[in-house]
Amino acid sequence: MPLSRLTLLVAALVLTGCEYMGLARPSVVEQLEPPVVRLVNELPQVDRPNEALVTRIYATGGLAHARLGDDGIMRGEMWARPAQLIWTPAIIVMPEGGRLELTVHNPDMMKHAAFMPSNGGHRLLELPPRSSGRIAIELDAPGFYWFGCPVGNHAGRGMLGFIFVEGGVPPQARLDRPPQPQPPED
Amino acid sequence: MPARLRGISLVVTLLLAACMPPLERFPVSREAQPFDAANARLAGTAPPVAATVTFERLVNARSEPQNWLTYYGAYDAQRYSPLDEIDRGNVAQLRPAWIFQSGLIGLVADPSDYAFEAAPLVVDGVLYTTGPDGHVWALDARTGGMLWHYRHAIPLDVPLCCGNVNRGAAIAQGKVFVVTPNGYLVALDAATGKPVWTQVFADVRAGESASLAPLVVKDMVLTGSSGGEYGVRGHIDAFDIATGERRWRRYNVPKPGEPGSESWSGDSWQRGGGTAWITGSYDPELDLVYWGTGNPGPVFDGSVREGANLFTNSIIAFRPDDGKLVWYFQMTPHGMWDYDGVNENILFEQGGRRLLAHFDKNGHLYVLDRTNGALVLATPFARADWGEVDPRTGHVTVRRVPTPGGTEICPGPAGAKEWPHAAYSPRTGLLYVPVVEQCGTFKTADTDFGESLPYWGGDVEIVKERQWGHVKAFDPLSGREVWSWRGEHPMLGSLLATAGDLVFAGEPTGAFSAFDAHTGEKLWSFQTGSGIHSSPVAYSIDGKQYVAVHSGWGGWIKGFAPELYGAPRGDALVVFALP
Repeated sequence: MPLSRLTLLVAALVLTGCEYMGLARPSVVEQLEPPVVRLVNELPQVDRPNEALVTRIYATGGLAHARLGDDGIMRGEMWARPAQLIWTPAIIVMPEGGRLELTVHNPDMMKHAAFMPSNGGHRLLELPPRSSGRIAIELDAPGFYWFGCPVGNHAGRGMLGFIFVEGGVPPQARLDRPPQPQPPED
Repeated sequence: MPARLRGISLVVTLLLAACMPPLERFPVSREAQPFDAANARLAGTAPPVAATVTFERLVNARSEPQNWLTYYGAYDAQRYSPLDEIDRGNVAQLRPAWIFQSGLIGLVADPSDYAFEAAPLVVDGVLYTTGPDGHVWALDARTGGMLWHYRHAIPLDVPLCCGNVNRGAAIAQGKVFVVTPNGYLVALDAATGKPVWTQVFADVRAGESASLAPLVVKDMVLTGSSGGEYGVRGHIDAFDIATGERRWRRYNVPKPGEPGSESWSGDSWQRGGGTAWITGSYDPELDLVYWGTGNPGPVFDGSVREGANLFTNSIIAFRPDDGKLVWYFQMTPHGMWDYDGVNENILFEQGGRRLLAHFDKNGHLYVLDRTNGALVLATPFARADWGEVDPRTGHVTVRRVPTPGGTEICPGPAGAKEWPHAAYSPRTGLLYVPVVEQCGTFKTADTDFGESLPYWGGDVEIVKERQWGHVKAFDPLSGREVWSWRGEHPMLGSLLATAGDLVFAGEPTGAFSAFDAHTGEKLWSFQTGSGIHSSPVAYSIDGKQYVAVHSGWGGWIKGFAPELYGAPRGDALVVFALP
């Protein structure tokens, strides 16, 4: 195959937006640190049920951003991946504190449930096999929160996920003092 | 396979792997429910008893002995109940009336982390209380049945020096006020448990957090910051009860040019500590709020902040309307021992004088004239070899300081009294104090400050072999110890004095006990199942007296009772009454 065709193929792959190609961009590559690369290389050996483990590494299911709608409500989708005992995505990023409406799909042949944090109290969405449901939660503070599947300790086996709420402390709550030294870079 | 083909094959494989077929979707057929839906069916609202809790009722709280309207029971912080149905003659018959199990869930705790530290509030048969990790409950005070439950969702990434804890709520004008570990003040509708407004008052990114029960004064609710181990700048904030609008903030460490700023070298004021993590008291006639302030930062290394480090380790008296300082008294100038001055300030009258009593972590009881802050007396109430305090002036002569190699000093970092509160009985005229007898080996070490990281300037190890506890009674005018009961472990529960001439005390073993207020004789004890690190209260319904205490061991165990690290946990509210 002439080289130009290979170039065209690669270009086509990039244009399709497939994630492997997208992750090869310089801004990502320059973040790679040896310990992280080692971790990622070793994960495939441990991130599957084996003699020692019956769990998946948390966050195996990846990350997705909730979209902020014109009505001020954030929305996203999440799946219980069939026969894998992981959430996809396992990390949901909210661009700010507020209301998140999450549609949760269970294409699995087993029952799952989403146990989610919310102001007012935890909320529980039960998901029979091959069903979808909706959960609305309210999180006002920046930071990260956990959620999980409480059915049969699925959370312990890998169905533990996190919600990252972006944003900072509002100006009126910050300390009145000059900018301070930050923790050193690793 | 030719190399080029292998490359193409790899690319195709990657393509297939990266572009997996989409996961299936189904018509949405389910909506999420509250997790405690079963309880929600049984309950939902509380009677609107809190709607008529006004500032005037809070001022006269002691005239409503059936209720416990503020964190300390009344603005004077005496932790005294005028109820006398349970007395020295019948206390041996005291038994549980009901138990509320709150049932914590999930990723909130390391082995020492959460503890139940709250003092419940009671308003006309409704009990409001709080737990760690954002929990608030309204219960039927007669039966323990849950009326409503609210939980503010708390992120995991909160800097918490000493546990995921909350010490209680405030109540007024139909609202329940509570702070969250990440520094939010939440006003709940007292009837429904639904939020009315929230305000952020602490900066978690700078290492701040919150744990105290708010204090309602006039039409404001006051809060104080935590995080003295993180090089913050401590403050007290006031918010409008109705709207949540901020009225003022006062910093306990002055900026350059402000009074007291000369007591800080260089720019050390910026990380000077002086947090305000225990609720203040209030004298409505003098219109003064009294609040204790925490240790300076860094905790153990004073060399980077020469000077007295005002207004850390102090009692400050300020106007509630604007937070303006009226007077101060600094117990431990230039602190190097983690001896916060945050402990309660008990207001009482004796000998025709308006007095204030304060058992400080530094091992000394201070009695002040609360009109002007003049010292009446200072006297040690436990082992204290870090320095000598002049009994008439309060002047400190330092004897033992942290060193790079380590110095054994008493009290240890928990102080001779940790935050659990003392009590005062106007019937006996005595002060009652839970004592921590403990020493520590204090070390200094260079510490580079990084915002949000611990800023200790050293470390401390508890001398585990020689620690125990006491409940002691003191005559506030002479400073004389009237009686002393010795316990196997440091005493880490607040005391409650009642008109039945009893002093109630929770022990780290889980025992909840009653002592004769005159003699210190232990008259009754009940094992609640988990260590007590909270504040018992008394109330009554239709003339029947109850005593309520949270049982739930945890918090900064490594600091105040390391021998009980890993002791059984708990999350109950246990309520006692006579048969």
